[in-house]
Amino acid sequence: MNNSENLKKIILMGFLSASVSIVVLGQAAPKLADDEIASVAVVANQGDIDFAKIAKQKSKDQEVLKFAETMAKDHQSVIDQAVALVTKLKVTPKDNDMSRKLIADATATKKKLQAASASSFNKTYIDNEVGYHKAVIAAVEGVLIPQASNSELKQLLENVVPTLKAHLEHAEMVQKTFASK
Amino acid sequence: MRGPEFLIMLFVNLLLVGCSGGVNKDTHHPKTIFVSIAQMKFTPAELHVNSGDTVVWENKDIVDHNVMEETSKEWSSGVISKGQTWKMVVTKNADYFCSIHPVMKGKLVVD
Repeated sequence: MNNSENLKKIILMGFLSASVSIVVLGQAAPKLADDEIASVAVVANQGDIDFAKIAKQKSKDQEVLKFAETMAKDHQSVIDQAVALVTKLKVTPKDNDMSRKLIADATATKKKLQAASASSFNKTYIDNEVGYHKAVIAAVEGVLIPQASNSELKQLLENVVPTLKAHLEHAEMVQKTFASK
Repeated sequence: MRGPEFLIMLFVNLLLVGCSGGVNKDTHHPKTIFVSIAQMKFTPAELHVNSGDTVVWENKDIVDHNVMEETSKEWSSGVISKGQTWKMVVTKNADYFCSIHPVMKGKLVVD
């Protein structure tokens, strides 16, 4: 295979990977029950907490460290409220295709972050945060809120959206500082 | 002057003295004004107050916040946990923000 074919293959694989994420997180809108929605919500928040833990270990940049601290605290707060609600509702979060895909993607991302060099880590982490929050906002607004049956679960998800959007805006703000580096 | 007439005049005089004293000293009675922190916003985002008013920030959001003077970090609340409040007597204009979530901004204007 020559260089041109290699390049085509890489582009195609990237496109397919992105398509899978979009289908799972948005456009295909899998049918989810409330116990499955609860599982997706917990897994999505836990993923970002795990990314933040790696950032706190590897970064020395004050803005990145502050951002990671905020992600860890805010997403833990959302998990705590989700757990309190499902406990009250006597719902047990149930694994499903969407939560399994999120876990698999998060595992791959953690490997990528762990492997990033010291010089490239901050940009790799913050670029991922921008993409991750965009995908999660799309999933919450496009799949989880419309499909939630219980009004309290729906309300919790609606309350989370402004937090996710503020995180995205914050991530984009930090991202700009690395654009020129 | 006898009886009720005397009492009425005394009351009127006291009232006038009280009012003139108020004009000479300070007609403003400090108020307490609430700023809600919810959905990652300060509401109202721009608050007009009189010098000496107390502003109370009330965290009704699902995550912790704080308020910090933005230009020179002159004052800061520390963490305002979910369901908690923090108050401050305002004497001058300030732009402020939440340093935990720097996209959240507010303004105090002393009229």
